[in-house]
Amino acid sequence: MHRRLALLAVGLALGLLSIARIAAAADTPPEIPLTLDKNQFQPSEVKVKANTPFVLVVTNKGAKAAEFESKDLRVEKVVPAGKTVNVRIRALKPGTYAFFDDFNKQATGRIVAE
Amino acid sequence: MGGAFVVTLREGFEAALILGIVYTYLQKIGAERHYSYATWGGALGVLASVWLGVLVTAFSGPLLDLGPDVIALCVIFVAVIVLTWHGYWMRQHARAVRGEVQSRIDAAQVTHRLWIIGLIAFTGVFREGAETVLFLWGLLTQATSPSGWASALGAFLGLATAAALGWTIFRGGRRISLQRFFAITSILLLLLAAGMLSTGLGRLEAMGVLPQSPTVWDTSFALDDHGFIGGFLGGLIGYRARPSLLEVGGYLVYLIVAGAMLFRSGPAAPRSRPTGGRVPAHSS
Repeated sequence: MHRRLALLAVGLALGLLSIARIAAAADTPPEIPLTLDKNQFQPSEVKVKANTPFVLVVTNKGAKAAEFESKDLRVEKVVPAGKTVNVRIRALKPGTYAFFDDFNKQATGRIVAE
Repeated sequence: MGGAFVVTLREGFEAALILGIVYTYLQKIGAERHYSYATWGGALGVLASVWLGVLVTAFSGPLLDLGPDVIALCVIFVAVIVLTWHGYWMRQHARAVRGEVQSRIDAAQVTHRLWIIGLIAFTGVFREGAETVLFLWGLLTQATSPSGWASALGAFLGLATAAALGWTIFRGGRRISLQRFFAITSILLLLLAAGMLSTGLGRLEAMGVLPQSPTVWDTSFALDDHGFIGGFLGGLIGYRARPSLLEVGGYLVYLIVAGAMLFRSGPAAPRSRPTGGRVPAHSS
C-alpha cells in the first residue's frame, strides 16, 4: 500500500513542481514568429540565440489544424486552423533542432541556435 | 488520404491496445457485467478530448498556451501510476487465482477496485484524444472537395483500423489462459508505462523543469521515430531515435524498479510446476 502512495506522491510532486517552475519562469522571453501557410513553414530556418529561452509564436494560416512538433525539442502542440499558439522553448545549447507539422509531414523546418 | 489514415491509426493505436487489454482483463476475471467500467472510462476520455479540443480552438491566451501541456503531463503520469499499479496487481493475482469464476470476481473486486480499470481506459483514450479530435475537425471542415473527402475518409478508416486492432486483441485474448494473459499483458503494460514515463521526463526537460541532459544515441538514420514503424515502436515500447540521458535513465530505472516489484517471487507464490495448477481458459 505504501508503495502505491509513494508512487502517487512522486507523481503529484512532479506535477506541482512543474506548475510552480513554469509560473516562476513567466518573465518575458523574446518572441519569435513562425507561420505555417500552404503547407510550408515561414521561415523554414529559425535563428535563435543559444542559451536563452524564447517563445515561438506559431500562426497557422492554413485551413486545416496543424501540430507543431519537434522530437529534438520534445514539443507537441496543436495549432488549430487560423489560430496562433505560443510555444515556450527552453534555453538551447548551440545546434540544430528539427521541427515539422505532425499532421502534414511535408512541412518541415529547423531551429538553429548559435 | 494515406497521410490522414496513418495519423489517426497511430493516434488511435495506443487507445485501442489499452481498451483491448482492459476488456479482455474483465472478461478473464469473469466480470463481463462490469464492462461498463471500461466503457465509461473510454467514453469520458472521448468527451474530455472533445472538450479540450473545443477549448483550444475557441480560446487562446497564456492559460491555453500552457494548460494543455500541463494536462498532457498529468495524464501521462497518472497513466504511468495506474498502469504500474494494475500490472503489479495482475502479477499478484495471476499467482493466487486457481479457483472458480466466482471466487475470481470476488477476489478482483475486493483487492482491485474496478474503477482503476475505468481510469486506465480514460487515460488511454484521453492521452492522444484531443489531438485526434482537432485533426479530424480540421479535416471535416475541408471535406468539401473530393480530395478533402478522401482525407476525411482516410482518417476514419485509420480510426476504424485501430478499433479493429483492439477488437482482435480482445478476441485473441479470450482464447489464451488467464495466467498467460496476465503474464503477457503485465510485460506489455510495463514497457508501455516505461515509454510513457520517459516521454513525461522528456517533456519536463523541454519545459526547463528538469535540467537538459545530453543525447545518448542517435539511430535516426536507421529507424526514425517520425516514421511509421519507429512511431509505432515509440508508442508501444517507448523507442526514441535521439533520447536524452534523462529519458533513457528514467526508462531503465523504471523497468528495473517496476520489473523487480512485479517479478520478484513473493513468499505467497505457490511452487509452480510447468503443467500443474493451471486454470484452463474458461470459454464463453
